[in-house]
Amino acid sequence: MNPAQLVELLAVAKPYIIMALVVAVFPLMAGYIVLLERKVMADMQVRLGPMRVGPHGILQPLADALKLMLKEDIIPARVDKWVFWFAPVIPVLTALTAFAVLPFSESYYVTKLNIGIIFILAMTSIGVLGIMLGGWASNSSYPLLGALRSTAQLVSYEVAMGFAVVSAVMVAGTLSMTEIVLHQQASGVWFIFYQPLGFFIYLVAAMAETNRAPFDMPEAESELVAGFMTEYSGFRWSLYFLAEYANIFVVCSIAVTLFFGGWLRPFAGTAAFNFLDWFPALCAIGVGGGCLMLAGRQSIPGFKIGLGAFGGLIVLIGLVFAIPVVIPYISGPFWFFFKVFCIIYMFMWARFTFPRYRYDQLMALGWRVMIPLGIGNLLVTALLILVHMGGFK
Amino acid sequence: MSGFFRKIFLLDLIEGMRVTFKYQNPKLIYTEQYPKQRPLVSERYRGAPRLNINPENAETLCIACDLCALACPENLIVVGWQRGGADGKTGKKTLTNFTYDTSRCMFCGLCEDACPTDALELTQDFELANYTREGAIWDRQMLEEGPRPTQYKE
Amino acid sequence: MHMDTASTHASQMHEETFLDSNEIVINMGPQHPSTHGVLRVVLRLDGEKILGSECVIGYLHRGVEKIAENRTYAQFNPYVDRMDYVAAVSNGLGYCEAVEKLMNAVAPPRAQYVRVILTELNRIASHLLWLGTHALDIGALTPLFYCFREREEILKIFENYCGARLTTHAFRIGGLQYETYDGFEKEVKTFCEDFAKKVDEYETLLTGNRIWVGRTTGVGVINADACIQYGVTGPVLRAAGVKWDIRKAQPYCCYPDFDFDIPTAQNGDTFDRYVVRMEEMRQSRRIIMQAVEKIPDGPIMAKIPKVIKPPVGEVYHSIEAPKGELGYLIVSDNSTQPYRVRVRPPSFVNLQALDVMVRGHLVADVVAIIGTIDIVLGEVDR
Repeated sequence: MNPAQLVELLAVAKPYIIMALVVAVFPLMAGYIVLLERKVMADMQVRLGPMRVGPHGILQPLADALKLMLKEDIIPARVDKWVFWFAPVIPVLTALTAFAVLPFSESYYVTKLNIGIIFILAMTSIGVLGIMLGGWASNSSYPLLGALRSTAQLVSYEVAMGFAVVSAVMVAGTLSMTEIVLHQQASGVWFIFYQPLGFFIYLVAAMAETNRAPFDMPEAESELVAGFMTEYSGFRWSLYFLAEYANIFVVCSIAVTLFFGGWLRPFAGTAAFNFLDWFPALCAIGVGGGCLMLAGRQSIPGFKIGLGAFGGLIVLIGLVFAIPVVIPYISGPFWFFFKVFCIIYMFMWARFTFPRYRYDQLMALGWRVMIPLGIGNLLVTALLILVHMGGFK
Repeated sequence: MSGFFRKIFLLDLIEGMRVTFKYQNPKLIYTEQYPKQRPLVSERYRGAPRLNINPENAETLCIACDLCALACPENLIVVGWQRGGADGKTGKKTLTNFTYDTSRCMFCGLCEDACPTDALELTQDFELANYTREGAIWDRQMLEEGPRPTQYKE
Repeated sequence: MHMDTASTHASQMHEETFLDSNEIVINMGPQHPSTHGVLRVVLRLDGEKILGSECVIGYLHRGVEKIAENRTYAQFNPYVDRMDYVAAVSNGLGYCEAVEKLMNAVAPPRAQYVRVILTELNRIASHLLWLGTHALDIGALTPLFYCFREREEILKIFENYCGARLTTHAFRIGGLQYETYDGFEKEVKTFCEDFAKKVDEYETLLTGNRIWVGRTTGVGVINADACIQYGVTGPVLRAAGVKWDIRKAQPYCCYPDFDFDIPTAQNGDTFDRYVVRMEEMRQSRRIIMQAVEKIPDGPIMAKIPKVIKPPVGEVYHSIEAPKGELGYLIVSDNSTQPYRVRVRPPSFVNLQALDVMVRGHLVADVVAIIGTIDIVLGEVDR
């Protein structure tokens, strides 16, 4: 087979490869996002977090996954069996499907849908069904109340999210995720500078959509034990959990794509900032070096070898990143994931700082503050675009 | 007016976030990792009881005066004694056995305060776990030696 | 006509389920992440609004008052720590002072100063625990850990002084058992200096925060008249506007020697109780700073007989515990064991006000209101 055919084969297989990677890697990544959250929470609370499983708790997600898979599957007596079985699967399906339109780079995506944003919003809306059915199937009053509250909250904040998204889409003039980023590249400015209020509304709505504090009243422990997830245990619960973190990832990816330039390097057009191209390599070498240093300090030989090998591998990857030929290929995904993790960090930071809103205050905030702000933002954006275009044509 | 700006620009929320951000410094971590790092307890800590032995002649300091048993709110000390001397009826009281029930003890220290010879002392050991209920009732030998918890090894 | 009879017949056959009635009864059972112990609260709801509540207590009853009838006065001292186990030193102070009053004995000045220092440190520790758990119930996860870090410093001072962190048994009838250790003044001063900044940090995290203010203002309002009728004391009473603090109104120990203010507030809602307790922590710090400068020298134990046999009589002595007025009624019949010890626990009396405070609020507020009364079930049930 000659090189041209190989390239063509790769182009055809690319969506399938990326799809397979997402489905295979994402559960592991969700586990590590949970570990990151626990460590960040611990740091902000002047304590240490998981430390025992693996050096500094690095293998904790594997232990958790193993435990959840082996746990006894308790099904309460009078539940609606088929719905109980199917309810956790729905949010996982929709969240992973939303990954299909996320652009990890200019050429790495599963599909380049021209209505990308609407597709993701639709998937989020369908995901609400999973919560509703989960609460209903549990045949118990606390989960039902939790599911109803959760559903109402999600539906309300979707409207606000819609307004924020529409404003950004108006600035770009297209619904396709990849095109939005290309517009940001062409204009040389990330849309956050054109739409600061839009970003703020989107961020608040996103936190409410994913049931994160300060909007996590339906899940609050001191309230309804665990809301709609009360009766789920073991593997089913881990599906809900996976769906929640997949949602967080999707919602942060939309924020990055719409407002922060997607896969673009900061100051992508300016040649003076080309030194930032070395940043991925430096990051990897830094992380690898840190692992090697930690490995030196471990007392258990197994941890030492494991961490040392891992650190060495990361340093090698960093050195590969430093080769100039490789930089254009890896720079896109690296900056995308870096920015998504920055926004996820902001979600976590907000969660550990603020108390939670009471349910009626939460709904009042959504309907009486966020939606009017969203509409106002939309109107002002529309006016400014009109002025910029020089009137109606 | 400044209150209005604070509200719009979320300054109250941002100040709170600054406090939590500051505490991420690893030097501020306050956790002690037990059992790797055994905590340092104070000198006066009221932990496991011990019957002290006179270092000069290796005999027990206890004179079997029974004051500790009288002072205990829970009546969990039983002091066994006998009179010294050839016929066992004259002479000073000497200690035979000493029973202390750590399962009912509330570590209040009244026995330690009552002892006139500093024989009974509440030490700094706090690892008193046992596999059986009977194991919590200490006899004289255990009181003199102290609990020997298994050392934690990595 | 024909249709009507059929439909009325059908509606008479329709069974009433709990979804049809207006009132639901919900049980916040003894096991609940936020009722601060084993407290059962039965709520009557109309949708989400609360119509009334009833507390079921007694899950932690241990018969402390009965035990007192079979122990000597000195032997009963360790048991009183276990009632309000969060702030054990105050319980000891109240009991020792009550017995001293019964015997007409007075602890020497040095003992009284050290007693005041430890009691005020204990007040700060109790309020810190209250703040951490209250914030946790409302959803702020981090102040709990900051408060416990401060509390850890105080518990270290207690451990260095008397050997135990929680059930301290720090005081004895007639004075103190232990002399202060080397470095006591220095550690206390270091703590107080760091503490002022920490209180400001807690205020930054919570007081101005719009979410906190939204969750706490107007929630759980009780006015001054209702407080006095129910017998509610402590920060709850002071937040309703009544300036009553036993340390100023009926001084005990050597409190008249110190200069401090009594914080009060106007509205009697949760936010005001929060503000009053934060200010009380600052005032306690002020008292400690004054006391630690001028601890007099002298004996630490008064001249009382070895075997304590107070004359026949009864005495009621109350102190300002962190949670309210803690009172001891001791009846003596001239034997070594008291005839009757009755404890007036502040949490028990304050808990009665829960019914008044929750009416008209939502279920989500019940947790905040239970937290703001600051109850400890060990005290409520004894």
